[in-house]
Amino acid sequence: MASIELVDLTKHYRQGKTVVRAVEGVSLEIGAGEFVSVVGRSGSGKTTMLDLIGLLLRPTSGTVLIDGQDVGRLGDDRRADVRSQRIGFIFQEFNLLPALNVVENVMLPLRYAKARTKDGRTRTLELLESVGLEDRARHRPDELSGGQQQRVAIARALVNRPTVVLGDEPTGSVDTQTSKELVGLMRWLNREEGVTFVIVTHDLELAGHADRVIRLSDGRVVGDEPIRHAA
Amino acid sequence: MEILRNLARRKLRSTLTILGIVIGIFALTTMGAMSEHFNVLFNFAEEWYSSSIPVGSPDGQAPLLPLSKIGEIQKVDGVAAAFPGYSFGMKPGEVTTVSFGIPDTIVAYDPREAPYQAFKRSIAQGKDLTATSRGEVVLGTSVANEFKKRVGDRIDMPVRPRDARPNFVNHSFTVVGILNSAGTAPDSFAYISVADAQMLFKDVLPVAVRGSIDTTTVTEGITVYGKPGTSVADLDHIADQINQQVPEVKAIRPSDLVRSYRSGGATFTAITTAAAVLALVIGGLSVVNTMIMAVIERYREIGLKKAVGAHTVRVLREYLMEATLIGFLGGAIGYVLGVLLTNLLNVAGRSSNLELFLVTPKLTAIALAFALALGAVAGLIPAFRAARLDPVLALRTTN
Repeated sequence: MASIELVDLTKHYRQGKTVVRAVEGVSLEIGAGEFVSVVGRSGSGKTTMLDLIGLLLRPTSGTVLIDGQDVGRLGDDRRADVRSQRIGFIFQEFNLLPALNVVENVMLPLRYAKARTKDGRTRTLELLESVGLEDRARHRPDELSGGQQQRVAIARALVNRPTVVLGDEPTGSVDTQTSKELVGLMRWLNREEGVTFVIVTHDLELAGHADRVIRLSDGRVVGDEPIRHAA
Repeated sequence: MEILRNLARRKLRSTLTILGIVIGIFALTTMGAMSEHFNVLFNFAEEWYSSSIPVGSPDGQAPLLPLSKIGEIQKVDGVAAAFPGYSFGMKPGEVTTVSFGIPDTIVAYDPREAPYQAFKRSIAQGKDLTATSRGEVVLGTSVANEFKKRVGDRIDMPVRPRDARPNFVNHSFTVVGILNSAGTAPDSFAYISVADAQMLFKDVLPVAVRGSIDTTTVTEGITVYGKPGTSVADLDHIADQINQQVPEVKAIRPSDLVRSYRSGGATFTAITTAAAVLALVIGGLSVVNTMIMAVIERYREIGLKKAVGAHTVRVLREYLMEATLIGFLGGAIGYVLGVLLTNLLNVAGRSSNLELFLVTPKLTAIALAFALALGAVAGLIPAFRAARLDPVLALRTTN
């Protein structure tokens, strides 16, 4: 079963008197455990498509299925529950809460999870070890470098054991070296955790590490190719 | 914990906002304590006059009634008992322009009257007066504190003014008892026997008539009681009967007095409450402003919380709790400062019998509940604004 399935997905919205066709009839399947990068020029609809998959936006038409369940038309609270249980988010600007320390930031999704996980703290500490920040657990975000903050965000995206992690330019705010490290980390976690990654990026280095690259232009899929990696 | 840290992130702003609430609740506590103090006095008066009928001289005449009127009044249907009353200022010659309390007063006390009185006195130290007491006094708490008197001490009453004339007369009394604090009028009273009161009464009569009046046959006024449990309406009826059947006296209907005291209490409460509420509204507006700023600054945080699964109600609750906490912190500090100030002023005023404030459990509950409610209500609009944010727009906001 596909982890994510989009069927003739469309998102139009008004900007003044103009109708913007951000996503136009996109149909695709992303398998469980895949690492997919979505590329395209600015305004091609990448982020809108990611927001539709992440249930942050409602489609104008079409269907979004996650783990086989049609989730596109759910009410706000049910969508929040699906996000909490099945989807993790990584943003370009990290979006850590400055009032919380590293552990508390990673545990934030647990606060809103309907089914509380008993081992939340253990899971958090394991993830912090996985992302190499076990010695920064009590630090505040402003005491960390950009790369470290994004590692915290990656751990936060995984804490609820989601089936899908969505990344919107996750390496967009760090230097090249840090970007490489983050890409390596996400790929490793993709394999370790068996979780699907869908990453929107301009970063060719990151896109090149994916299993598959989907190209968007004017809201349509114009390319969908697997990438072969040297063994 | 996150809420506290969020408040700590903007220390100056949070402090100023909390200060707004502090001032409001401080005003509510101090004004409310003053209102409570006066309400106790009004309530005492209301209770007192709900159970007795004051009878005095007819309108326009000096307060001087022959004691024989008591016998005539007792014949009126419904009257259970009637007692003469005498009272004198403890500090004659004292200049008081505005009095915020009951002045120290020497009051005649007949032990036989006690069963009829609504207010039940209780002795803290020593003993009470008896029907045969002479030269003895039982002091209310405030009077005892003011004159630093204990049981066994002697006290000259009335107090000799500094500029007393050579013929000023007072008498020495032995303190035989001190009352428990009533929180109201009896605290300022010095109780003496009726016989001693008649002696003092002679002293206060003008020299021209002093020799011609036998003070053991006259009184300033008469307090009339119905049977225990007689309603105010029935007492009114008895007062009307006295006015009809007993010549040369004026019985006041208890309901007129009760209404007057109730109205006085309500007016005072309204004035003090209005002043405090005004201060609170200003504090509340500062909470609204702070919370709106907090929501605007934290758009992305709100977007993130919604993205990771926070329901709308949950976000609403978090921001309401933050506003409520501001209200609580400001309220608790304002209340404590208010209690401290009112206690200090009460202690300072004790020596001159000017305890103006009374912090009651009711006032405590009102002040703290008001602070919490103020924070919560002021936080409603910002919290709804936060809760209804579109997570996509919120996440894309650049601060």
